Amino acid sequence: MSALAPPAADAPAAVRDRPAPRLRRPRPARSPWLHVAMVPVTLLWLSPIVFVLFVAVRSYDDIAGRGLGALPASFSLDGFATALTQGGVLRSLGNSVLVTVCAVVASLALSSFAAYALSRFDIPFRRTILLTMLAGNLLPPQILLVPVSSITEAIGIGDTLTALVVVQVGFGIGFYTFVLHGFMRSLPDEVFEAARLDGAGPGGIFWRIVLPLSRPSLAALAALATTWIFNDLIWAMTVLRTEAKFPITAALLNLQGGFASAWNVVAAGALIAAVPTAIVFFLFQKQFVSGLLVGANK
Amino acid sequence: MSKGTITRRELLAGGMTLGAASLLAACVGTTSGGTGGGGGGTSSGLITLQNSIQDADPKAALEALVKAYPGGDVTMNSVATEQFRAQLTNYLRSGDSPEVLSWYAGSVARSYAEEGLLLDVSSLWEGDGACAGYSDALRSLSSDASGQQIFVPTSYYWWSVFYKKSAFEKWGVEPPTSWDEFHALCENLSGQGIVPLTNGLSSTPWMASGWFDYLDLRINGAQYHRELLAGEHAFNDPEVVAVMEEYKRLIPYFDKNAASYTAQEAATPVAQDKSAMYLVGAFVSGYFPEDQRDDLDFFSVPVINDSVPTAEEAPTDGFFAAARSDNQQGALDLLSYLASAESQQQYIEQSKSSNLPTSPDVDTTSFSPLVQKGIELLNSTEEITQFFNRDSSDALQATADTALTKFLAQPDSMKSILDEWQTAAEGVFAS
Amino acid sequence: MSAQPSTATRRPSRFARVPLLVWVFLLVPLVVELFWVFWPAANSFSLALTRWDGIGLAEPVGLQNFRDLAADPIFLTALQNNVIWVLGFGGLSVVGGLALAVTLNKPGPMVSLYRSAIYLPMVVSLAVSGLFWRVMYAPDGPINGTLGLLGLGQLERQWLADPAVALWAVLIAAVWRQVGYIMVLYLAGLKGTDGSLEEAAAVDGANAWQRFWRIVMPQLRGVNMVVFAVTVIDSLRTFDIVWAMTRGGPYNETQLLSTYMFQQAFTTGNLGYASAIAVVIFALAIGFIITYLARQARTED
Repeated sequence: MSALAPPAADAPAAVRDRPAPRLRRPRPARSPWLHVAMVPVTLLWLSPIVFVLFVAVRSYDDIAGRGLGALPASFSLDGFATALTQGGVLRSLGNSVLVTVCAVVASLALSSFAAYALSRFDIPFRRTILLTMLAGNLLPPQILLVPVSSITEAIGIGDTLTALVVVQVGFGIGFYTFVLHGFMRSLPDEVFEAARLDGAGPGGIFWRIVLPLSRPSLAALAALATTWIFNDLIWAMTVLRTEAKFPITAALLNLQGGFASAWNVVAAGALIAAVPTAIVFFLFQKQFVSGLLVGANK
Repeated sequence: MSKGTITRRELLAGGMTLGAASLLAACVGTTSGGTGGGGGGTSSGLITLQNSIQDADPKAALEALVKAYPGGDVTMNSVATEQFRAQLTNYLRSGDSPEVLSWYAGSVARSYAEEGLLLDVSSLWEGDGACAGYSDALRSLSSDASGQQIFVPTSYYWWSVFYKKSAFEKWGVEPPTSWDEFHALCENLSGQGIVPLTNGLSSTPWMASGWFDYLDLRINGAQYHRELLAGEHAFNDPEVVAVMEEYKRLIPYFDKNAASYTAQEAATPVAQDKSAMYLVGAFVSGYFPEDQRDDLDFFSVPVINDSVPTAEEAPTDGFFAAARSDNQQGALDLLSYLASAESQQQYIEQSKSSNLPTSPDVDTTSFSPLVQKGIELLNSTEEITQFFNRDSSDALQATADTALTKFLAQPDSMKSILDEWQTAAEGVFAS
Repeated sequence: MSAQPSTATRRPSRFARVPLLVWVFLLVPLVVELFWVFWPAANSFSLALTRWDGIGLAEPVGLQNFRDLAADPIFLTALQNNVIWVLGFGGLSVVGGLALAVTLNKPGPMVSLYRSAIYLPMVVSLAVSGLFWRVMYAPDGPINGTLGLLGLGQLERQWLADPAVALWAVLIAAVWRQVGYIMVLYLAGLKGTDGSLEEAAAVDGANAWQRFWRIVMPQLRGVNMVVFAVTVIDSLRTFDIVWAMTRGGPYNETQLLSTYMFQQAFTTGNLGYASAIAVVIFALAIGFIITYLARQARTED
C-alpha cells in the first residue's frame, strides 16, 4: 500500500522503469453506467432496512392482525414512544456510547503501540507474537463466557461498565494490532530514516510520523470497531447483571417479549440504536476513502 | 540463518507460552467450591431480584409489586430469557448472587438444588408460611430430591386448543367433544378451505412437543408420559409409535407453512380467520390484537383412550433464592411477599395475562371468563404435568425438537426418526 | 524493511537495539490480551478434556469428547456446513467487497451515498438483521411475492424451513451484511495505492482488467492478508445471524460449529463437549491462518 511499492514484475516495461511520482492527478468526468448499476443495487440493498422502518411505524394490532410482511395499514409512532420511555432505550444508549468511546480509544491506542513496536523494530519472535495476538481472536466468544465472568468477578469489577470496556479492549487488541501492523509495515523507510537523523526518539516518531500516516487505517478501524463494540451483545450479557447498566443491544433484546413481541417497538428501538453507528460511519468515511479517482476506472 | 529454523524456534516459543498459559488455566477452577462462601446473615439491606420477564404488561406489573414492597429496597433486573438461562449458573455461583431469581419449577431447579446453590425455603411451606396452603401437587413440584422445598410457585397457565368464537360461528361449527368429532371438524374445515390447525415451529421448535405431550397423555396416560421423560421407556417403544401414528393422522390438517412461523406468527392466520385452531398455552392471548382477545375460547384436547386418567399441561412459574446471596433473610421475606395472595391478585390483574394464581386464597371471581374457565379445567382434571422440557430437561427437549420437526417434514421416516431419537435420548440420560 | 543484521552473530544486542519505550508499547497490550483472552481460552481448552454440566464438578475423561465428536452426525453436518460457509460466505463477501470498493472508490455525493448504503447493514444489530431477513424469507413475504410476480412461482418455497436451501438463505443474509465491512477495508487499502502507476499503465495501453490485476492488486497485498484473516475468522465464528434466523434448524440442518457449540454448552449443558468443539474451531482457524500468513510473511521479509 505504499506509494513506492514496486509494480508487479509482469507490468508493462514503461511502468517499471518510470520513477514513481508522488502526485496524483484528478480524472475527468465519470460515466453514467456507474449510477445505472448502483441505483438498483442500492435500493435492493436498503430494502430490508426500509422494511424495518415500515414495521416501526405500524401499530401492534396491525402487525398482529395482518402479519409482519404486510404493507402498513396504519401509521403510529407508538413504537418509538414505547421504546424511548419504557425500554430504557435512552439510558442504555448512553451506556453504549460511553463504553464504545472508551473501548475504541483504548483499544486503538494500545493496538497502535503494539503494531508500531512489532512492525518497525527488531523485536525477537515478532512474527510469533503477532500471530499469537491474532490467535486470540480465533475463538468464538461463546465458549469463553464462563471463565471471563469468573475472572471479572474475582478481580472485583464484576457487573460494572469498566469490566465491559476492559473485556472489549482485551478481545479487540489482537485483531486491530494485526491490521495496523499490515499498514504500518509498508510505510516508507525513508521517512523514518530522516526523522531518526533529525534526532527524534521512538516516541516522537510514533506521535509525529506513524500516527498521522496511519490515519486511513485508523479511521477505518475506528469505524469498524465502533460498529462491533456498539453492536456487541454477548460480552454485555456475560459481564453485566444490572439492567440499569445494560447497553442498547441488551435493552433491545428485552424489548422482544418472552412470549409476544411488540415488533413495532423492537423495530423502532433498532432504528434508534442504529443512528450513532451510522453517524460515526458517515463522519469517518472521508478519512479512509480516497478523495480522487484511484483504482480501476471506466 | 535459514528462515526455516527461525520459524521452528518461533513455533517452539509460541508453544511454550501456550503451555504456561494452560498451567495457569488450572488455577481458574472448575470446582464448585470456588468463589465466595455461602453469604449468611443480613449484612446489607439490598435485595436484588433477577428475572427474565420481558413482556411489557407483566414486567410493569412486577415492577409495581416490587415498588410497593414494604420490607426494603429491591433492585429488579430483567434479562431476556435465553440470555438469562445462559447466565443463570453464573448468577448462582457468584459470590454476590442476586437474592431472588425467577424461573420455573422442574429439572433446572432440582439440579441446582443438588449442588447446594439454592436456598432452602421450606420455612415458607410450613406453619403459617405464605405457601403453606398450596396444593400437594405444587408442594411436590417445588421440592428437591431430599424433600426440602427450594422453589416458590406464583403463577401458572394451562395449554388447550384455542379458537375464536366468532370464527366458529361463521363457519357453522362447534367445539368437538370426542376425538372422532375432532377429526370430523378438521375435515369439515378443510372442505371449507380453512386450515384446521396452526403451529409455529421455526425458531420455537418446542411447539411441536405440545401435540406430542397431549397425544401421549391421552393415549398412554400421565404416568407413562412422566416415565418416558425420565428415561424409563424407549422412544421407539410401541406405545410411542402409537402416539406418532396418531400425530401422523393430524399432519394433513396443519398449516403447510407451520415450519416457517414462530409461535407468535402462527396466531396471525387465526386472527385473520384463515386458520381455525391452535394447541398452545394461555399466553396466546397476548399474540392477538386487543379487540380479538375477548373472542378467544378453548376446548381441551378430546379424550382418545377412556382407560387413562384425564390430564392437562399446566406449566408453573415462580421464584427461587440463591444460597450464596448476602441477604438470605431479605430473600425469604421478599419471596413471602411475592407468594402472598394479595401480591398474586394484583400481579394477575395488572399483567393482563391469562395466568392463574397458585395461592388458593386469591379471589378469582374478577378474572376474565377465559381465565375462570381455565381454572375450572385444571380443577376438574385428574393429573397435571408441566411441559416436555420442564418435566425432563432442556437437553432432552433439544432431542425432541429435532425428532418431531423432522417427523413433521418426513412422516414416512417415522421408524428411523424414532430410533435416532432414542439414541440421542440415551446420550442425554447417560451424561 | 531495511536489511537487518543476521541474528546468528548479533543476538545479544537485539534487545538493546529496541528502546525501552517500545518494549512497553508491546508488552502492555500483550499482557492485557494474555490475561483476558488466553487465560480464559486455556481454561476452556482444558475443559475439553472433561465432562462438565457447568454446575457440579468437572470429571476428566481424556480424549473421549473428541472421539464422540468424530461419531456425532450433527457435528459432522456442522463441519460440512462450515466449510460451505467459509467458501460461500467468505468468497462472496470478499469478491463483492473488493468489487464494490474498486467501483465506489471515487469522489462525489452520489457515490458517497452508495457507499453508505452498502455499509448500512453493518450498523444495524445482528438480531434485527435476522428479523428482517426472516420476514423477507417468510412464505408470504417479499421474496416469494417477487418470484410470483416475475412468473417464477415454482421457485417459491419455505426458505428457512427447507433443509435444501436454508443454509444458503442464511448465507445470503450474512453476505449482505459482511460486504460493507470488506468494502471498507479495501477502500482503506486503495487509498494507499498510487494512482499514477495506473495512469501510466493506461497510457501504455493496458486495459482496465490488466491495470487492476497487475498494478493495483499487488499493492493491496497487505490488505489482502488482513481480509483473508478476517474472512476466515468471521466465517468460523459466525453465530448471531444463524442463531437469529434458524437456531441451527430445521432439525440441525443449518448448524454451524459455533451454533452447535452454543447449543451444547447452554441448552444441553455439556460444557466439556462444547469446549471440544471450540478446540476444533480454533485448530481450523489456526491451520488456515498460520499456513497462509507464515507463507506470506516469509515472502515479504
